[in-house]
Amino acid sequence: MTTPGVFRRVASRAQTLMELVRHLLTGGQFFLIPLLLVLLLAGLLLVLTEGFSYVAPFVYTIF
Amino acid sequence: MAAILGISGLYHDAAAALVVDGTVVAAIQEERLSRLKNDPGLPRRAVAACLRLAGISPQDLDAVIFYESPYRKLERVLRWLLESYPRSVRHFSRALSVQLGSKLWVLDQVAELVGVPRARVRCVEHHRSHAASAFLLSPYPRAAILTVDGVGEDVTTAIYRGNGTQIEPLGSLPYPHSLGLLYAAMTAYLGFEVNEGEHKVMGLSAFGLPRYRELFQKLVTLHADGSFELCARYFEYEHGGELGFSADLEHLLGPRRRPGLPWELATSSSDQRYADLAATLQSVTEEILLALARRAKRETGEDTLCLAGGVALNAVANARVAREAGFSRVFVQPAAGDAGGALGAALLGAIEAGDPRPAAMQHAALGEQVSVEHALGLARQLGLSAERLDDPARTVGELLARGSIVGVCSGRFEWGPRALGQRSLLALPKESQTRERLNRLIKQREPFRPFAPAVLAEHAANFFTDAPNDLTPFMTSVCSVKPEHRANLAAVTHVDGSARVQTVTPSATPLLAAVLSELNQHTGAPIALNTSLNGPGEPIIAHATDALAFLSAHAIDGLLVEDCLFRRPN
Repeated sequence: MTTPGVFRRVASRAQTLMELVRHLLTGGQFFLIPLLLVLLLAGLLLVLTEGFSYVAPFVYTIF
Repeated sequence: MAAILGISGLYHDAAAALVVDGTVVAAIQEERLSRLKNDPGLPRRAVAACLRLAGISPQDLDAVIFYESPYRKLERVLRWLLESYPRSVRHFSRALSVQLGSKLWVLDQVAELVGVPRARVRCVEHHRSHAASAFLLSPYPRAAILTVDGVGEDVTTAIYRGNGTQIEPLGSLPYPHSLGLLYAAMTAYLGFEVNEGEHKVMGLSAFGLPRYRELFQKLVTLHADGSFELCARYFEYEHGGELGFSADLEHLLGPRRRPGLPWELATSSSDQRYADLAATLQSVTEEILLALARRAKRETGEDTLCLAGGVALNAVANARVAREAGFSRVFVQPAAGDAGGALGAALLGAIEAGDPRPAAMQHAALGEQVSVEHALGLARQLGLSAERLDDPARTVGELLARGSIVGVCSGRFEWGPRALGQRSLLALPKESQTRERLNRLIKQREPFRPFAPAVLAEHAANFFTDAPNDLTPFMTSVCSVKPEHRANLAAVTHVDGSARVQTVTPSATPLLAAVLSELNQHTGAPIALNTSLNGPGEPIIAHATDALAFLSAHAIDGLLVEDCLFRRPN
């Protein structure tokens, strides 16, 4: 259980993104990709501004 | 031949399970090791323990399978954001923080946690994991499979046909029409903690009458084909509600119960109303589950049924399905909730790798071993007395027969939420005062919650109707206590005459079976009250450290760790 290097972590996340895009394309959900891109960009902004502070109140909420 | 690790987590019930060459080597819930009830993280300690038990390293793993698809889950959230626009705008940041900040990357986190290349990590569908955990470990070559829970990706309920190693999907119900979410919302309404208090609602329901069926017809509509719909206005899973239900539900059913208030069922008309609501919920749940099981029977034509998902932990509903759905046999794997998904994911990976289907599950002792040497070392430091016993079962049986309450730690700890004799607290089942003493000294449970009996399987039919069956070894069903024995089993008989029976065999649980045989010599009944070895709000004990801490904190009469009896100083 070692911490992987930066290159390996980036490659790992790239694989996840590829799998996500493949999932959306094969499931006919390609119309969600623009929304996803907007969300990813906004997410990047939130990461850069350290804006994550939300704690989900109800354990069964959909997120 | 392959080594496959299954993982559940990042929601609740984090767990890991390891299948090597088609054999379940280990299955462990993280809460047992982290000591955090319903641990919602990733199962770091459980993964390490599984690998240790198998004697392998992460490099030896052929695959690591996560129990649900983060992509399908994200897809559901994105679709909801679009469908609910503009109402959903204020939830964008929340969706971002939870999904894109963490959950989307769960497979990367799992790869880093376990220490394997990302290419070896993949996911399977949530309900397929549940289905595999029940069917592939059942004693049935073919079966209908019904999975019912809160929500998994975008599905709440699914029907499959199991045949050999094949699991064929036949149909599903979409989110948000969910029996699990209905039960969870009502659990919150009744003042209990969601994901923890559902079994309390089940216990409470026996104290009420289902008087509110007409009101519940507004909450949920059951269709002739076995499917059902929830009325969205009464629930708030998506719109930031803190309880899962809306103000409309309180307008319909009256004000919710405040959490933490003591229950006064005998004197409070308000509490009796809540008991009646619990009874109505339980009754509606049973009818929906029954309708779904009958639909599974129609669609598959099979004679046996495997149930899984969090709703399959409802032992009262399971008993009704077993009696009335038309199947000759029913099986529920003991960790039917999300923890079980880890086991199902590992089994699916093993089958895909070409390994054979495992043997039917005979026992749930899939955790780590307790160490008596460690316990002895700790006892010396804590000033506890320790006595090595030649015949531990005989001594424990004698103590129980004298009215003592004895904790037992034997072998590997259990998989799932029930104590099945490996980490149990035992007492005589006869006196209702025993129940009160247990509650006063240790459990501090609500007065309506029953304790369960463990009985030697070969004698079970003398005391209980419909026992033994495929459910009773894992306490996933209830049986009726025969009227002539209710007075002698007062501590384990619920107010409606039922009991959540565990049937015990020497091959599955050797120590408990020997204790029950000894009790039979003293009392004429091979039955003990069996409750989990833990304090209120704690996970069940795993190791010697937890066990001796429990003994130090609670005034029980003794604690057996393998062949050594520990006692508190007088």
